[in-house]
Amino acid sequence: MAKQPGAGNSLLKYLAVRFTLIFPTVLILITMVFIVMRSIGDPITAALGGKLSNEELEIRIEAAGYNRPILVQYFEYLGQIFRGDFGSTLTTNKPITDLLGTYGMATLELAVYAILVALVVGIPLGMLAAKRRDTATDAGLRLFAILAYATPVFFVGLLLKLIFAVTFPILPVNGRASVNTELAITLMDNPTGIYLIDAIRLGEAEFIFDVISHAILPGLALGLLTAGIFLRLVRTNMIGTLNTEFIEAGRSRGVRESRLVTSHAFRPALIPIITVIGMQIAVLLSGAVLTETTFEWKGLGFQLAQYLNARDYVAVQGIVALLAVIVALTNFLVDVLVALVDPRVKF
Amino acid sequence: MRNFLWRIPPFKQLKMSFGVQRLMLAVGLVIVSIFVLMAALAPLIAPYGFAQLQYENGEYFGAQEPPNPNHLLGTTVGGFDVLSRVIWGTQTALMVIIVAVIMSIFIGVILGLISGYLGGWVDRVLVLVADAVYAFPSLLLAIALSIVISGGRSGLFTGILAAALSITVIFIPQYFRAVRAETLRIKQEAYVESARVLGAGNLRIMFRHIFRNATRTLPLIFTLNASEAILTLAGLGFLGFGIDPTMGAEWGYDLNRSVSDVSAGIWWTSIFPGLAIVLVVLGNTLVGESLNDLADPRLRARQSVEVAGDE
Amino acid sequence: MDIKSTATKRSLASVVALGTSAVLLAGCAGASDTAESSSSSNAASTTSSEPISITVGTTDKVTTIDPAGSYDNGSFAVMNQVYPFLLNSTPGNAEMVPDIAISASFTSPTQYTVELKPGLKFANGHDLTSSDVKFSFDRQVTIADEAGPSWLLYNLDNIETPSDTTVVFNLLSENDQVFEAILSSPVAPIVDEEVFSADSLTTDDDIVAGMAFAGQYVISAYKFNELVQFTKYDGYNGVLGAAKNDTVNLKFYADSSNLKLDIQEGNIDLATRSLSATDVADLATNDKVKVITGPGGEIRYIVFNFDIQPYGAKTAEADAAKALAVRQAAAYLIDREALSTQVYKGTYLPLWSYVPPGLPGANESLKERYGASPDAAAAAKVLAEAGVTTPVSLNLQWNPDHYGPSSGDEYALIKSQLETSGLFNVTLQSTEWVTYAQERKDDVYPAHQLGWFPDYSDSENYLNPFFLDGGFLMNHYSNKAVDELLLEQIVTVDKAARVAMIEEIQNMVAEDLSTIPLLFGAQVAVAEASVEGVTLDASFKLRYGTITK
Repeated sequence: MAKQPGAGNSLLKYLAVRFTLIFPTVLILITMVFIVMRSIGDPITAALGGKLSNEELEIRIEAAGYNRPILVQYFEYLGQIFRGDFGSTLTTNKPITDLLGTYGMATLELAVYAILVALVVGIPLGMLAAKRRDTATDAGLRLFAILAYATPVFFVGLLLKLIFAVTFPILPVNGRASVNTELAITLMDNPTGIYLIDAIRLGEAEFIFDVISHAILPGLALGLLTAGIFLRLVRTNMIGTLNTEFIEAGRSRGVRESRLVTSHAFRPALIPIITVIGMQIAVLLSGAVLTETTFEWKGLGFQLAQYLNARDYVAVQGIVALLAVIVALTNFLVDVLVALVDPRVKF
Repeated sequence: MRNFLWRIPPFKQLKMSFGVQRLMLAVGLVIVSIFVLMAALAPLIAPYGFAQLQYENGEYFGAQEPPNPNHLLGTTVGGFDVLSRVIWGTQTALMVIIVAVIMSIFIGVILGLISGYLGGWVDRVLVLVADAVYAFPSLLLAIALSIVISGGRSGLFTGILAAALSITVIFIPQYFRAVRAETLRIKQEAYVESARVLGAGNLRIMFRHIFRNATRTLPLIFTLNASEAILTLAGLGFLGFGIDPTMGAEWGYDLNRSVSDVSAGIWWTSIFPGLAIVLVVLGNTLVGESLNDLADPRLRARQSVEVAGDE
Repeated sequence: MDIKSTATKRSLASVVALGTSAVLLAGCAGASDTAESSSSSNAASTTSSEPISITVGTTDKVTTIDPAGSYDNGSFAVMNQVYPFLLNSTPGNAEMVPDIAISASFTSPTQYTVELKPGLKFANGHDLTSSDVKFSFDRQVTIADEAGPSWLLYNLDNIETPSDTTVVFNLLSENDQVFEAILSSPVAPIVDEEVFSADSLTTDDDIVAGMAFAGQYVISAYKFNELVQFTKYDGYNGVLGAAKNDTVNLKFYADSSNLKLDIQEGNIDLATRSLSATDVADLATNDKVKVITGPGGEIRYIVFNFDIQPYGAKTAEADAAKALAVRQAAAYLIDREALSTQVYKGTYLPLWSYVPPGLPGANESLKERYGASPDAAAAAKVLAEAGVTTPVSLNLQWNPDHYGPSSGDEYALIKSQLETSGLFNVTLQSTEWVTYAQERKDDVYPAHQLGWFPDYSDSENYLNPFFLDGGFLMNHYSNKAVDELLLEQIVTVDKAARVAMIEEIQNMVAEDLSTIPLLFGAQVAVAEASVEGVTLDASFKLRYGTITK
């Protein structure tokens, strides 16, 4: 969050500076992706080595230009990205940008559920912990927050499977919908890819129920991870603001403590949350790889894991580069939002 | 000895803490101590080797055996002893932590000092790079690095190095930011100015004055760093980019192999390595959180503020 | 793995023979389903007014449903349902019979002539003529995609179409007995020339939108590697007959444990390739489902590199006798039963020779030579007699991403077996397939894991590609007597004489131990108890059309 204090007093100028910062950020990320992926070796040998003879490999490597100087390839790659071309997967020959269209919605849907869970669980519990600070309640809530962070999502997945699939089979532990619902959504006109919306448009209670029941466990698993972070953040900030003069003034005027917590201290404590939601995008995307793999939620993270297993590094490089751009853009949007909401940010 | 102990970071804080906070710190310290002890004494306390499949007489342990007197936590799908692998796994985890933390601190602190002290375009570029790297999904980086480092060949040290290096790359920005901010603050203070006036060289100023003061916040990042290292190692193992079972015990690998067991109701192969991960990360984080609270006067428990009274 | 063994002659006679000698998996329920005759449940589906819908789950993946762009189980499983073939095998048999053709035979040593049935149509209404057939094969050769099966057409010179229903394949070499098998293989689905591109791959979406199907089913909904809906195609007029169900949904899983949970919960009707050993073992005890098995051609073995193994020809202390003793000691020590039961829970069975059971000439050469159970004393003796100092240090290489997740357990157990006697000191290392496939040929691995899935079902496919000089193993094994027998048996017309030779070859290699065979696999599917008609046969094609419930 590189703010430029004193650079000028207009909001517009800040936004302009912040906007131009997107480009070097994206450039750095894409360069990192490029360096890391190319130091593995040329993608053709990685994906097809062992299937083709050495001569055929040579021909294909030459045709794809992987034998040229690395700098030439690098600038060509930058040029492609600049034109919005993230390449095509080697193993299934699909444009990366198409993958975003097909699977991005699934990831978005999961991320929204996760953030909702995180907000609904994290904020009230964080407020409660702040209010009851240094009591057993506080300690318990903080322990919960730490546990949410300390438990890897794939272990959560295994535990949930043990509970909900083996012992009490009541909630589905894999996929986004059952076969019938998925068929109905696939066959409908212009599906959005966000299953809940599609199911509601289909108007059948059975489908809506099915989609929701499939979303509960993955949404909870990814959401609680983030809820822990929100809980700690709200608690810390509330304690901070509850100690400020502004609140002290309210307290001395006889405003009840519970009202102080809910109205006076809450709003200032929200701002860091907005910032953190933005920063959580990267964490969510990382977590999505594991969560989507664990629950077979067929989104971008799941696809990424599949392409990694197939050693399709063109696809991996493309998806990661695309994610990097998304992360950079979201961070920018969050900064804009914070600038608009937070009176303390000086331009 | 006793006096010395109470002066190094976690124990010093333990002494000055109270109530719930003290309890959290103490529990954290106990867990971490047990973890380190287990790693050190694994050869003595583990009933079997981490890759052992047969008894001395050649008989097999058997696969997926439920907990029994010979195998207190049962055996895995591959026929390893679960308890032994959980215990030996502490060694692998500790090695990753040590390598990752040392590398991150070393590079992050130096870059932070340089950036904060020199300022100018060096500072701006480094800040920009650090922000960009911080936004990078760490697990993806870890996977890519594990392939680069190993060249597709498995091994205990390539596995450890991959997890450690990727964590290093992600954590350098955090050390960097903390140290840079402190450096910026201290740079303005009178004694650094006076040192400069007295003609001390840049290097001398940086290391003598700033380093000593700027590293106060590091233990907090340190514990987070350690936790992330364990989680990344486990994530790598779970996705199949980890350490061969005969080369080292690694909890993420064991969890990966237990996925089929879970759907057959075989719980002991996943619960114990999973709990090991959770406990170690929990211990670390408890210590880190408590240190954070104690370092921040606003968060320090009220009694301790009254007693310390110097803020 | 599929290796192009273009030089060898293939004999169709043995392919046919396999159909009757199904390799059955011991101890699994419902094995009799393999023998289900295709007429048994005819009435149920045709008279019933209620539409039958079957849901199948798999962990296989589709690369593309364009036949020119894929050569893998997942893609072929889909293609089998929707594209017609000139020749095909019917469920339960491996014999090739005309599918959408009236006749198909050699009309001269290098001419194979197929007469199509008249009036064939694709589901989109386009006529299916000889021109489409020629197009289907020509585009395979033109596109020659590296992931595709076009190399199977190595013997095809050109195709003529004298009339709308006549197709003549002009071949390069005479009397190619395997060409019929190739016409039912993944290279041979017949596609619509008005939908498919002649010189590049056609996307799955275009194929589905163009309804370019003329097999038992059409694809009525398609979500890549998530869900495919097949609907019965009434215009199909081939040997497989009309499908006995109305729709089949194919659901793709990434993780076999999720597939297992869904079949256990009754969310799907049939789970095919591939459930883990733990899954199958657990489901076998479940009354609500039945485990169905069929012959499988897959084998697993350890390869020794004769140059760089301990005492190998290129090592400092080269000594052929000592090297042989090391291999034989390993053969004495390996416990196949334990590998089969502990690691694979019976989904793979002990393989005691080079040709798997069920094929002509299969024997148990290693069991006779080295005993049915591990013999540490014999191993110690053979090493001592050759003057080998123990423990022998052996680097054993395995691969984690090509032969399933149990490979790690399998090799950990082999290491343990070799080491308990104190005769060996084994260092295990795994390498990713990309590097592995290269390095195993480059004399990097003294001993390593490999597996084999046959290109076609014949004993010869388990011998010549391996042990003939210049075979694909590249482990520097050479035995002139074995070579002579190998070359003799492929031109031997007398079946009994050929079987005797195949047995002799196995006994000779069992003495030399170019490889140590370990295990062989079977096809396994799990169905809900009410599901009938699942047929796993030696064609390795699962037809959805026979399934009812």
